[in-house]
Amino acid sequence: MSSRASPATARPAASPSSTTFVAARDVRKSFQVGDRQLEVLHGVSLEVGRGELVGLMGASGAGKSTLIQILGLLEEPTSGEVHFEGISAWKLPIAERARLRNERVGFVFQFYHLLPELTAVENVVLPAMIGSSFGAWRKQRKEHFQRAEEVLAQFGLGQRLKHRPAQLSGGERQRVAIARALFLDPPLLIADEPTGNLDSATGEKVLELLLVERERRGLSMLLVTHDERLATRCQRVVTMEDGRVTGDVRTAR
Amino acid sequence: MYRFFLSWRYLTARRTNIIGIIGITVGVGALILILSIMTGFLQETKRSLRGTLSDLIIEPVHLESREGNLVPFAPEPILEAVRADPRVAGAAAQLIWGGILGQSGRDAAIANVRMADAQAGKHSFVKLVGIDVEQEYATTELRVALESPEVMGSGRVHDVDRPFDPPPGYAPAVRTLATVLVGRQLAEAWRLQRGSEIEIMTGVPDPITGDWNVNNRRYVVGGTFRSGENEMDLEKIYVERRELVDFLSSPREFSQVLVKLHDYPRDGKALRDDLDAKLAAKGLISRRSTGEVRTWEDFRRSLLGAIENERVLMAIMLSLVVVVAAFTIFAILSMMVTEKRRDIGILSALGATPSGVTALFLWIAFLDAAIGSLLGAALGTVGAIYIDQIEQWLSRTLGVQIFNRGVYLFDHIPAVVNPLWVGVIVLGAFVCTLLFAAIPAWRAGRLDPLEALRYE
Repeated sequence: MSSRASPATARPAASPSSTTFVAARDVRKSFQVGDRQLEVLHGVSLEVGRGELVGLMGASGAGKSTLIQILGLLEEPTSGEVHFEGISAWKLPIAERARLRNERVGFVFQFYHLLPELTAVENVVLPAMIGSSFGAWRKQRKEHFQRAEEVLAQFGLGQRLKHRPAQLSGGERQRVAIARALFLDPPLLIADEPTGNLDSATGEKVLELLLVERERRGLSMLLVTHDERLATRCQRVVTMEDGRVTGDVRTAR
Repeated sequence: MYRFFLSWRYLTARRTNIIGIIGITVGVGALILILSIMTGFLQETKRSLRGTLSDLIIEPVHLESREGNLVPFAPEPILEAVRADPRVAGAAAQLIWGGILGQSGRDAAIANVRMADAQAGKHSFVKLVGIDVEQEYATTELRVALESPEVMGSGRVHDVDRPFDPPPGYAPAVRTLATVLVGRQLAEAWRLQRGSEIEIMTGVPDPITGDWNVNNRRYVVGGTFRSGENEMDLEKIYVERRELVDFLSSPREFSQVLVKLHDYPRDGKALRDDLDAKLAAKGLISRRSTGEVRTWEDFRRSLLGAIENERVLMAIMLSLVVVVAAFTIFAILSMMVTEKRRDIGILSALGATPSGVTALFLWIAFLDAAIGSLLGAALGTVGAIYIDQIEQWLSRTLGVQIFNRGVYLFDHIPAVVNPLWVGVIVLGAFVCTLLFAAIPAWRAGRLDPLEALRYE
């Protein structure tokens, strides 16, 4: 699959077009902290086009993570709408939304978030396992494991298949996490500071892997980062400040 | 699918689960083991409670019957009427009277010492039972009691078919005394053996004046018996019925008629009611439905009720063990949910639903309960079956006598495994565990997964 760069400029509050993959419209989110409401997002609108790589920058506490969790259907906005492939996602039943998360979104977290009791391969096939019924899993089990092993080998973890996360280095763990996020070939990849916990050399390698895979598969991607250099590699950089989108710049790339 | 896979993985990877499983195993195992032993004990006790009681007991009150006839003093009319029923296997008349035991003959010196001992006093009241040997053998367990393996050596009757024959080697100094059979406990307390002479005193009211006359007569011991019923073995003395009638100079030739049935569980109560009606109609008992005809269970009603009650109480109390075990699962699972908060967040990011997460933790509890209760059932059942060997091994190893066979009157630890109970206990442990586990599992599904994902 070749890369499909987004032809349209993402305009805030624009109606979702056919090229828009996921869109947040006037999303507000507040948390109850003690006895007062803390509003983290003050009406954010953002669209991510199909195959578009969007960098999301901003200081800590700007609301980046909350926004991507809302876009990734993990967190319900207090008000506003999230259109996921044209469908208002928070109006769907819970199971349906869970299925979208399972099949359509891949998450890569700063702290890898692998299950410590599972081996690397098992962690990678987990999305398939979650998405399958007992019978379906039994039929495809071998296939899934074989594919997971192939992906891991491709990622340079061929010798680490049966290792638990605790036996892997940070870079290795993140590569396992990336393999897991990509396992079901989701059209949207959400990465929350994927290199934030790695030293720069390792981080560079992991990022390279992530970007290459995205390019190869032509995925939409939301990349949260602090790193200016990293942002330059995105097609579009959205800046957030204090719960609002303050900048939306298309880069030369 | 991940529910099964992950629940199994969590189960095997987390040591704490093993504690929960052991808890349930021990709880279920102990419950089954103890209930089995209890049931065994109760059955055995029930048996010994019955002791020498026959299926039905007819005790006419020697008053005028409704028609104004005197209820006959001789047992033959009742025996005839009873034997006419095809459900009856045997019937025997007994004459029962109280007495005081003294000793004479060559062991008298010892007895005198004992009689002076205040402790010995309680042994000296005896129950004289006049029987007809053949009828008795056909109706009660007397023959078995005489042949009991615990009755040994010089305590044994020489010829069980003729137990009231003078004991061999008995050479009376003055005149041949009538033979009696004494309970083993009584014989031990008085150091009696075959050939010992005893003296029995009794009081009999004069049929005309009503004054009590003291009678006494000497007897020779023909042997001892052991019915398994402690009190009976401590106070019963069997005499030939004719001999007792003669000793008492009594117009009453019997006190009760014992009836044995072919199939007591089936016919017992029906026959009791039929005989009650029939005998009352013939004027052989004084009134209908006055309890003159009773089953042995009627006779021991309050004690049997107490036993049943005891078993129910025991079951309820022991069920608490299982509840405690289930509570352990609750604690372990609660801990695990807290500990696995991040994993729950990850699963939910990967597409698990809240109900799926709840199901995952319920599966863990299910596996805990399944492994624990099945293991416990196996352990409890095997333990109950081999309880004697286990007790003996423990007694040998620890050097302590755990089960005192002398106290309980049975030579093994009785245990009866009821498969239905095992099933109920396993099911109960299961349901209990799942109920307790539902709380943390439900909480796991309701956790905000993101809170856990935000920070490491």
